[in-house]
Amino acid sequence: MSTTGDNGRTERLLEVKDLTVGFPTRDGTVLGVDGLTLNVGSHERLGVVGESGSGKSVMGLAILGMVLPPGRIMGGSVRWKGEDVLDEAVANRVRGREIAMIFQDPMVSLNPLKTVGAQLRELLQRRVGLQGPAVRTRSLELLDMVGIANAPERLKAYAYELSGGMRQRVMIATALACEPTLLIADEPTTGLDVTIQDQILTLLRNLSTELGVSVLMITHDLGVVAQFCDRVQVMYAGRIVERAPIAEMFADPQHPYSLGLLKSVPRVDQAETELTGIPGEPLDRARFPPGCAFEPRCVEAQDTCQVTPPPLVRIAERRWVACYNRPGAERTGSDS
Amino acid sequence: MLRWLAKRIIAAALVVFVVTTLVFVVTHIFTDPATVSLPLEATEEHRANRRAVLGLDRPLSVQYWDFVSGLVVGDLGESFWQSQPASKLVFQRLPATLKLVGGATVVTVLLAAPMGMLAAWWERRFADHAVLGFSMVSISAPPFWIGYLLIIVFAVQLGWVPTFGSSGFVSLILPSVAIGLASAGRLAQMTRRGIVEELRKPYAVTAMSRGFSRSYTIVHHTFRNVASGFVTMTGWELTRMFTGYTVVIEVVFAWPGVGRLAIHAIENRDLVLVQAAVVVLATLVVVTNLLVDVARRLIDPRVDLA
Repeated sequence: MSTTGDNGRTERLLEVKDLTVGFPTRDGTVLGVDGLTLNVGSHERLGVVGESGSGKSVMGLAILGMVLPPGRIMGGSVRWKGEDVLDEAVANRVRGREIAMIFQDPMVSLNPLKTVGAQLRELLQRRVGLQGPAVRTRSLELLDMVGIANAPERLKAYAYELSGGMRQRVMIATALACEPTLLIADEPTTGLDVTIQDQILTLLRNLSTELGVSVLMITHDLGVVAQFCDRVQVMYAGRIVERAPIAEMFADPQHPYSLGLLKSVPRVDQAETELTGIPGEPLDRARFPPGCAFEPRCVEAQDTCQVTPPPLVRIAERRWVACYNRPGAERTGSDS
Repeated sequence: MLRWLAKRIIAAALVVFVVTTLVFVVTHIFTDPATVSLPLEATEEHRANRRAVLGLDRPLSVQYWDFVSGLVVGDLGESFWQSQPASKLVFQRLPATLKLVGGATVVTVLLAAPMGMLAAWWERRFADHAVLGFSMVSISAPPFWIGYLLIIVFAVQLGWVPTFGSSGFVSLILPSVAIGLASAGRLAQMTRRGIVEELRKPYAVTAMSRGFSRSYTIVHHTFRNVASGFVTMTGWELTRMFTGYTVVIEVVFAWPGVGRLAIHAIENRDLVLVQAAVVVLATLVVVTNLLVDVARRLIDPRVDLA
């Protein structure tokens, strides 16, 4: 586990506040991300965990000021070292150079018609400004850095000629080409073999330590979070429901949803625990309840939970939770 | 690549062979060239005479052998109407048709590619709707009508270009536009749809997340990925041009090409000449498809080599 992430004194790089992304549908606007707040400091590895459809991937792109149409950013702010990333001029500078993203599916995230070399060259020439033989030298260095053997040969390869793990390594190389300070990794190991997953995570961790790159790890996989992150935020229906340092999250989850998530995965550190699922189904985003989004599935739900969504409040040092049934969380907006 | 090309050429030659055989079947079995070429009031004696002159009284197998062996050396028989070798007549007219199709293709590609990219760039904005409007009109309007409209405006009213005939580059403009507009409309829509779809794909999103602009991503990433489809569609448009549009437009513009020759041949009941024109146009279609395959292979390394 990283030491720098735990002292609470790191420089703040990314500050996302109340970010809201909406998608127009026949039944009105659906919020893919609803009032998201998060911070990433230097040398920090933050995990955002949630199930499919919880708005994780929308969030990753929205942090770069990108939303696939017809969605759009409806409110909130994204600041990078104090500058407004939602301003297109700032975004153009920050994208790739300061914040780089790697995506879920390396099969399709590389241009199928460009060789690995061409994709690296394009970035190094147009985004970094390298010219001449320096481009090739740096390309080879990058491939070497992500553990690709026989780099000169690989430069000439097309994505379809590479294995899944190799493609994700190339993706990481293109992400690191502009020496970013923050890497957003959106499910970087999903769809890869377990052994390859492990290799990729190890590679990412080593690179983030060696290069001093912060990582925002977006995943549905608590194992990935446990293995990789310093801090974790749990996301449900576009909102953050809990935020905690990694050890505390696993030892003592506070939000009923976090609790459910942890109970639904096998643990090797606790003998003889019974696995249980979370009752109910993932929320149909078009039918948003007015209160807490998790209320319909929550075992602890009370009538008051249906009225207004609980705010994310601080319950202890570096621990935040959005649930009315937790100490310190004020019950607001109820009828009484 | 060479083996693949050789296979493709052999396949194309086979298609040409099948097509020419079909042409023979239609002109010799389903119709009687002697009857067609004579006036309605001709007697059976006249017809028998004509059959003997044309060699139609011989067994079909012998006639077919004659036809095929003639084809190999470029002999497509003699025109009844002009009393000249049909191949000579067709090849005289071929350059004019090729020029016309070439001009129309240039118009098509130069309009379709930028319009498709612009529409995709400004998806759901004014430029997109404008391109859609242009496409709807150009696709719906029959080429001969566009041809007459262009003649009335640019040749008759403004007098910028000649009303008909083939006299240099200027005379090529109107008929090329008349043919190319509809093709450009279809291709622009296909290009736009392709690019919009590609822009949502992870590789394009990745490119933009690395800081490349939407326009750069369209031109340098997505267009190449729709180029294969673009070339294929352009090939189809060329096929339509050879077998349909040029015929109509050559008549409208009194353009001395193969299409107009075929129309005259039909009017004069000259089956040999019709047959020659069809064989040549069909060969052009097959050659076009071959070139499309080669182009796609060059664009996309994943195209199957088998």
